[in-house]
Amino acid sequence: MISGTLLKRNIISCIKPFIIIFAVLCMYTTIIIYMFNPELADMLNEYQQALPDMMAAVGMEGVASSLLDWTKIYLYGFIMMLFPLIFIIIANHKLLMGYIDSGSMANLLATPNSRVKIIGTQLLSSGLMIILLIAATTGVGIISCQAMFPGELDIPRYLLLNASTCLLQLVISGIAFCAACVFSESKYYYSIGAGLPILFFLIQMVSNMGDKLKNLKYVTIYTLLPAEQIVAGESGHWEYELAMAVLAIVLYGAGAIYFTRRDMSV
Amino acid sequence: MANVIQVEQITKDYGSGKGVFDVSLEVKKGEVFGYLGPNGAGKTTTIRQLMGFIRPDKGFCKIQGMDCFSQSAQIQKSLGYLAGEIAFMDDMKGMEFLNFMADMKGMKDRSRIQELMHRFELDPRGKIRKMSKGMKQKIGIICAFMDHPEVLILDEPTSGLDPLMQNRFIELIQEEKKRGTTILMSSHLFEEVEKTCDRAAIIRDGRIVVVEDMIQLAKKKQKTYDVKLKDEQEAERLAQNTTLQIRGRRGRHVEIAVRQNIKEALRILNQYEMIDLDVKSQTLEEIFMHYYGNTDKIAEDKSNIKGR
Repeated sequence: MISGTLLKRNIISCIKPFIIIFAVLCMYTTIIIYMFNPELADMLNEYQQALPDMMAAVGMEGVASSLLDWTKIYLYGFIMMLFPLIFIIIANHKLLMGYIDSGSMANLLATPNSRVKIIGTQLLSSGLMIILLIAATTGVGIISCQAMFPGELDIPRYLLLNASTCLLQLVISGIAFCAACVFSESKYYYSIGAGLPILFFLIQMVSNMGDKLKNLKYVTIYTLLPAEQIVAGESGHWEYELAMAVLAIVLYGAGAIYFTRRDMSV
Repeated sequence: MANVIQVEQITKDYGSGKGVFDVSLEVKKGEVFGYLGPNGAGKTTTIRQLMGFIRPDKGFCKIQGMDCFSQSAQIQKSLGYLAGEIAFMDDMKGMEFLNFMADMKGMKDRSRIQELMHRFELDPRGKIRKMSKGMKQKIGIICAFMDHPEVLILDEPTSGLDPLMQNRFIELIQEEKKRGTTILMSSHLFEEVEKTCDRAAIIRDGRIVVVEDMIQLAKKKQKTYDVKLKDEQEAERLAQNTTLQIRGRRGRHVEIAVRQNIKEALRILNQYEMIDLDVKSQTLEEIFMHYYGNTDKIAEDKSNIKGR
């Protein structure tokens, strides 16, 4: 139940933002990994002491004892959250909201493809592109680590960290996708579909900063990423992953079901 | 003959009087059906329900016996559609878009696209975003006709086209009609519908006012002659004429309603000192009012003209 023609069109329309965001992630990943050395670690620790709140806000907190720890602190607190979010907002707009807002959805609906097939193709495209983005970045991360610090990276845990991050991004994308399915105008998509994840992201930054604000972590879904536990090698974080998977499925699914039934004045 | 398009008492209420109310109509196989109404009367709302974009609050509509919302994909296999407000994938080039649509429709034979492009003199190079309204309209027409559909739903198909292209479009409709295609086209121009359609419905404020045979409708159509006379006295003399249906006088101008008595009217007019004669094409509103003969509203209009 997938339209190959539409899938091809989706890839073409999202390829530019994909490459740009991927390039940015590659750059940061390689630079951060390159910077992993004890002297720099000391310097960054000094930064943390000098500007504790600032560094904490972007998730850069704690002393990196391993390369995995290092990437978790300096990549997965901020960069791997923010840039995929930007891609998610752009991609879901291109895949769905743009067609509905401009009225060009009428062209797709005026073909012998059912709504189920159209939304199924868009859902798959949205999900796959995010998985591909994280997977490709993970690949670059592993290659960089092996090239610069052979054998230093705990690859199974690194993969787990990225898989979890991918699930989290799918939940975020689920919010944007669901909003695109429900709304008829881009402005509502931007205020809810994009606004809500951005708000969660900001709350996450604030809650990182201090003791009193710590409870804010209960109102942001970014808390669902069990980064600490994964890096520490603890077990029992599967509940987080399960919760993220269920949330992603519910959000994407609810949006798609709504799409097949809604009125579209296009 | 079987009804290809069947609309049964559909209501879609958008509040504050907008929408369509209790609309029913049928289009028979091979018939060209005009859907006339002023802007905002509910033409597009009806068509969106036929296309399965929106669901009626009440009633139902069917095309070839299939429900327009739930069986939309099945219906689209043999349907061509031209939207009233054209919105394409702006980032695509013209030809790229036509090929994309052909792929989405699962079309193999692309010869018709070339033929239609030639007919409408469309140059499909360049991005759609940069194209004029007329060019986009041509692309929309090609999309609707390219798959030899059995049913065509066209929402104001000639808007944006120059007169030459409008004529080519009318020829195209007449060819399709010979082929036995069932066509529903909306318009706010009576002339356009008159040239192509077998029957027409007039919609106003979301309600069907009349569904009428084109021949019957044309019979009831009247023209207004705006006669300019030598001076006001002469104009007043003409205004007093009892044989002609005088609609009013403004200065040296006298308006006369003419139905099928053209010869007679011209013979009488010849007796006056005319300087100029203008034939005013009848607006849809006037046709609609005429349908009901001399209603109060027409009488009101008359006094308005006299009062000026």
